Amino acid sequence: MSSRDLEGYRSGGPAQLTDVLERVLDKGIVVAGDIQINLLDIELLTVKIRLLIASADKAKEMGIDWWQSDPFLSGSNGRGELDKRLRAIEEKVGLPTSDEES
Amino acid sequence: MNAEGWYLYGVVEAGAPVAMDGEPAVELVTEGRLAGITSRVSLEEFDEAALVERLGDAVWLEENIRRHEQVLERVLASTTVLPCRFCTVYRTEADLRQFLSERQDALSSALAEVAGRVELGVKAFVDRERFAAGGAQENDRIRELTAQAAQSQAAQSQGGRAYLESRRLERLVGDERARFGQEAASELHRRLLDNAERGVLLDLQRPELSGRDEEMVLNSAYLVSDRPGFERELTALARELSERGLELELTGPWPPYNFVSEELRA
Repeated sequence: MSSRDLEGYRSGGPAQLTDVLERVLDKGIVVAGDIQINLLDIELLTVKIRLLIASADKAKEMGIDWWQSDPFLSGSNGRGELDKRLRAIEEKVGLPTSDEES
Repeated sequence: MNAEGWYLYGVVEAGAPVAMDGEPAVELVTEGRLAGITSRVSLEEFDEAALVERLGDAVWLEENIRRHEQVLERVLASTTVLPCRFCTVYRTEADLRQFLSERQDALSSALAEVAGRVELGVKAFVDRERFAAGGAQENDRIRELTAQAAQSQAAQSQGGRAYLESRRLERLVGDERARFGQEAASELHRRLLDNAERGVLLDLQRPELSGRDEEMVLNSAYLVSDRPGFERELTALARELSERGLELELTGPWPPYNFVSEELRA
């Protein structure tokens, strides 16, 4: 019988990343250090990264796919750039552009 | 080109026993009554501009966040440590020393507040099926409807009425579950606070974050000096509430992230 059955609660497993994130990103001493991520960014990031790491696929199924259009997370070659190129090609071949369709 | 900075994980009392065998990269920088737990990092990787990009890289982030936590846990095993927020970096050793000496008093009193204590995390979940079979049956109306549903099922009646009744039962059980979850959470927090120096409520995590299907009803952290006593109370609570559908999870010991004084957090 594992200790968990004896005690009646779960414990002792490796720390869940979400629990670590919740502490390491949000809490602890905040230093007016030389290099620092400013507080607003951290709060925004925590929410985003938790979701991203926890389960990008699951979140996507639920229709939460902000990171694909967020240049901050998808890098500078995010969807904005892709969309622009797509529209340019569509115009060139004389198709109605994606924008007009929707 | 390859400029180095100082990454600060946390602060301990000067002379505290810190065994970092197998962690050659971690150094103690002692200044007055305090010592910083540090390691040298490349500023190319950790400078502000680079950092913003890194933070979008989930792999880099997970690796470095885990490392931050692991270093602090090693320290926590032998002494009290004040944890810094992720990515606290100084450009020079002089800047780091200046911080330690300028904030000496605030840091020392924050250390004294948490000395000999650890942070423990508690999460509580309600299991839908076990609640429907357990806690929900304490409600008379639910018991009645459950019996009726069992009868209809036995008689294999599939009419509209049986359907409506099963929907009504479902809704009632859902309401009861919400009520039970709230009551259990406040009872848990109250009794765990009695066995801790301090306690805080944290944000509830949705299933995609908690990694569990059950609904989270409590996410909290406690600053604890009597760990066996706290765990005994948790065992008692688990025994009292588990049949009704409650599940408990204990995490830690953590460095006291949630109990660093306000002054040092702002």
